[in-house]
Amino acid sequence: MLLSIENLHACVEENEILRGVSLQIRAGEIHALMGRNGSGKSTLSKVIAGHPAYTVTAGGIHYRGQDLLALSPEDRARSGVFLGFQYPVEIPGVSNLEFLRVSCNARRQRRGQEELDTFAFEDHVRETMAIVQMDPAFLERSVNEGFSGGEKKRNEILQMALLEPLVAILDETDSGLDIDALRIVANGVRRLALPTTATLLITHYQRLLDAITPDFVHVMAEGRILRTGDKDLAMALEQRGYDWIDETNGSDTRQP
Amino acid sequence: MSNATQSRSQLWLETLLQALAQRPGGNAAGQQASARDWRLPTRRSEAWRFTDLHCLTRLDPTRLHTRTASPRWPEAFRQASSGQESPARLCLQLDSSGHWLGPQGEPPPWPRGLMPLPSGNITPGQVARTLMPSGPLPLGAALNGVTPGPSLGLQVSGPDPVHLDLGIRVEQSQAWLAPHVLLVLEPGARLCLSWHVAATARAAVAPMVEARLGPGAQLEEAAMTWGCPEAAFLGGSFVHQSPRSVYRRTSVTWGWGLSRDEPFIRQRQGQAETHLHSLAVARGQSLLDTHSTVYFDGPAGQLQQRHQALADDRGHSVFNGRVVVPRAAQETDASQLSRNLLLSTKARIDTKPQLEIVADNVQCTHGATVSCLQDDELFYLQSRGIGRDQASRLLQRGFCEEILQRLPQAALSWPPLRSLLETPTPDQP
Repeated sequence: MLLSIENLHACVEENEILRGVSLQIRAGEIHALMGRNGSGKSTLSKVIAGHPAYTVTAGGIHYRGQDLLALSPEDRARSGVFLGFQYPVEIPGVSNLEFLRVSCNARRQRRGQEELDTFAFEDHVRETMAIVQMDPAFLERSVNEGFSGGEKKRNEILQMALLEPLVAILDETDSGLDIDALRIVANGVRRLALPTTATLLITHYQRLLDAITPDFVHVMAEGRILRTGDKDLAMALEQRGYDWIDETNGSDTRQP
Repeated sequence: MSNATQSRSQLWLETLLQALAQRPGGNAAGQQASARDWRLPTRRSEAWRFTDLHCLTRLDPTRLHTRTASPRWPEAFRQASSGQESPARLCLQLDSSGHWLGPQGEPPPWPRGLMPLPSGNITPGQVARTLMPSGPLPLGAALNGVTPGPSLGLQVSGPDPVHLDLGIRVEQSQAWLAPHVLLVLEPGARLCLSWHVAATARAAVAPMVEARLGPGAQLEEAAMTWGCPEAAFLGGSFVHQSPRSVYRRTSVTWGWGLSRDEPFIRQRQGQAETHLHSLAVARGQSLLDTHSTVYFDGPAGQLQQRHQALADDRGHSVFNGRVVVPRAAQETDASQLSRNLLLSTKARIDTKPQLEIVADNVQCTHGATVSCLQDDELFYLQSRGIGRDQASRLLQRGFCEEILQRLPQAALSWPPLRSLLETPTPDQP
């Protein structure tokens, strides 16, 4: 078991957003998490990554048997948990190349690998950029500053490729992408999904799941996972909408 | 300020003026006369309400000297200065007699396009007085004016850019340096001026730079000033711009116990471009104050100004950006932005735009922000495995970098400046 979420409750500014989420993710699995806006998908991803604005009020998260909530955000990342942001943050003045190198080395250090100096890292990052077909000119710019929506998402996948996480959570990585960018990002995600790793895709749309076939599809509403199924559940949602889930509000939660 | 404090500071000023008058070239009678009607500014005056001169008046006026040390010129400057392939570059350092000499102490070989002005043609304050015909000169310029010493006056001509690098280093306590530089740029001339001031002891540095830009002339100035917490800096720059001239100034200030920088730019007939970018990094108990003035006398002048300050510990940054647009200055296009990072509960930022606009057909914008580090930015870096302290330093450096990247590449190799630019090392476990 890579990631085990048990009855997780979390709030922000005293508003309870997560109301008992349970989810088990094993190595080699791809999970898709769907649901309306405001259902708690992004909150779940941020709580896993350790965003300080959210407070866990009950339940827990274990990552490879370890209490994940006891770790700082940076320690979660160093030990292999990755969050691809829905809205990647622009950081003026901090060069993308340097940011990538410092974060990549933080992860390498934790894994007992040798840190890469400027030159070695530049070779490494240029090779990795090919996965997401990203122009090396973006290395010289400030982190995400002035990047288009698609470029920001490619930069997220580039970071994921460099950090080689064991659990990757991609929060609406497909939103705002045109068809070509979606294909490139999906290829990147597929290439990085290994038997030893797991991926949690948060998405609104079937189109990402056409490119990446999930093993499990979960539907969230009001801070809980209401239903779990396979890729057919996503297809049904696409055709029938979320109202259908509300109507049937079944407890077909065959947890993996 | 109490009467006792005021009389102490007046006594200090009188003693200082007497000491300066006794230096070679000093004018004892004139300076004693001026002491009678000259007062050090106090915090009662609006322009000095946040700025205390204590760091300056802690100097002992009876022990002042002019001894300088050799600046530690980075290799990039040494090579450029000695190489025959780049004749239009000159590095000069201030010696203990107030003369400007090459890095090896040699008299400067004047490159093409740069010619010394006859000393009889140089009077400190001659440009300043045309820009500020009435009222007292700023404190730094006034103190510079009463400090005897040779001036550096240069005429710049020709369309090819000339690079002039000035270095001042102070290592001995009680040094009092007030170099004066006058630059006359002929029409169409181009000068890249970079000056670097470093003070590692209790001392005062009060440079005055005066520049007259002919039509179409371009002056690019990079000023990097660093001092220890016991050192004071009082800078005065006065730039007269003719139409079609371009003046770009990038200044970086950090470390000083007290720094007061007062650039004054006047577009005599408008139709010129002024770009001011400044960075102040106030840590410890540093007080860094920038009071700038840009005056448009004619139409269609342009100004882009950005002041960034970072205050941490008990550091204090003060910015006052005055922009004067009288009726004659129609179609002026001016923008001013003051961005500030406040990193500690005991640090302080005071920032004030001062736009005096009478003309009605102008575009003048201003803005000021004071914020701490953004949680979302910190979290983004942390979520990539970067520790919170390292992330914080990375963000601070990124904030500085926005101004630093405007400095010429060679200027970034000065060792103290590199410390602002170093990649923060990972947090120790």
